[in-house]
Amino acid sequence: MYKSTGFISFFLRRFTGLVLVLYLSVHMWVIGAATQGAEVFNARLEVFESPVLKILEILLLAAVLYHGFDGIRLIIVHYFDVTDYRKSLFYAAFATSALLTIVGGIPLLLYALGMWS
Amino acid sequence: MTNRSSQGQSATVRVQRFNPDVDTKPYFDEFTIPLEPGTTILDALREIKSNQDGSLTYRRSCRHAICGSCAMNINGKNMLACNQPLKDHLDRKGRITIRPLPYQPIIKDLVVDRSAFWEQYQRIKPWLIPPEDIPEKEFRMSPEEVEALKNAEKCIMCGACYASCQVIGLNRRYIGPHALLKAFQKILDPRDSIPGERLAEVAGDDGVFRCHTIFNCIDACPKELNPTQAIETLRKLAQKRQAFEAMRRERQKSLIVSTPRISEPMGD
Amino acid sequence: MRIFIIQRISAIALVVFLSLHMIVVHYPPGHLDFSRVLERLDDPLWKAIDIAFLVAVLSHALAGTYAVLTDIERVTPMKRILAGVLVVLGIIGLAYGTYTIISFQPPASLLAAH
Repeated sequence: MYKSTGFISFFLRRFTGLVLVLYLSVHMWVIGAATQGAEVFNARLEVFESPVLKILEILLLAAVLYHGFDGIRLIIVHYFDVTDYRKSLFYAAFATSALLTIVGGIPLLLYALGMWS
Repeated sequence: MTNRSSQGQSATVRVQRFNPDVDTKPYFDEFTIPLEPGTTILDALREIKSNQDGSLTYRRSCRHAICGSCAMNINGKNMLACNQPLKDHLDRKGRITIRPLPYQPIIKDLVVDRSAFWEQYQRIKPWLIPPEDIPEKEFRMSPEEVEALKNAEKCIMCGACYASCQVIGLNRRYIGPHALLKAFQKILDPRDSIPGERLAEVAGDDGVFRCHTIFNCIDACPKELNPTQAIETLRKLAQKRQAFEAMRRERQKSLIVSTPRISEPMGD
Repeated sequence: MRIFIIQRISAIALVVFLSLHMIVVHYPPGHLDFSRVLERLDDPLWKAIDIAFLVAVLSHALAGTYAVLTDIERVTPMKRILAGVLVVLGIIGLAYGTYTIISFQPPASLLAAH
């Protein structure tokens, strides 16, 4: 495989994309419990309140944010002539998603540990 | 030879070898060669071939970065061997690794089978198709129109971009950055009369929408061209194909009318 | 080209919808249950927004899956079958998702009390 920054972004974009498709089907199944009434819905949602799954949600958040900012980067490349700044744009997308993962992840972590009021 | 190398510095050249008649798998050979000021990577290969191992096989021709024969993979990056000083690519231990271009079948050592590359090039009809009523005088393009093609016309078809593209690794039907850059050149050329047909071809399943903006082609190009920008331009044009075609017809009409005829056509 | 356009449009829609979804539903983190979701979804406007979100997310996910799979040379000849399967999955997903969103109704006992 030909290694490059572009390849890392391409691989991560595809990988997070497929992970999110799988998550989407689980997410729809969980919320789909609402069709069977409030009790079934609450019971199925309760499973996802476990601290381990809450912490995994931080990884999910990272995947969503990276996929999103990488997509915004590609839209910028498509509409503007900025291929000369390709490396900076990649690092910008990576840094922004990392930063927002930390900002958004801390409340999730605190909540998972029961320290969020 | 031994005399000279003992005086100056030396470099270790690791070359990927493969002889289909004998080997089942590529392997690496190491050669130590004298390092002199101005030694290029191609000089290093020539030194090995003439003085150490005559069976080493590689392509080369002009040695001036214009024939496009000697593109190869140096330390994991595709480039021309002839315009790169050996010194710039040595690691701390004074070593350099040379492999053939990736994603293509190896014929022998550093020589790869480039038929897929040329087949894709053929596919985009890399020639100009002029309108039927050709003016007597030359087609005159505006300086802006010439400028727009500058990106594409310096291409030497070395295959460095094609062999750096991960999409090629995944799917050999993909037209490839080299041919899309050439398609861009033909489509934007005001003298060409079938931009619509060309756009339909590059907007198909194997064309510009298969590109995933990995940018390897820009980094690999020894002529500092920009296939990615060409592909992005084609993507935009493909979405307004009809309008572009109409614009071209208008442009060619003005071209033909405004060209003054020096002499009347001969009567029969 | 069609896939590319679907991806671009749904991507831009998702940036808006997903930000909204995260801020409204998941932040700040708290205990979620039926009644909590119902507080928001009782409004028909929110139901409409969520159905539009569902359409965007399904088209983006399925077009993305199609693009990832057809990139592989061996899958390309089967792209019509693949497209058919994905369209069917999309329709099932849309029907199921819409049914789910509509299911967020106040319980019958509460309705009677009104």
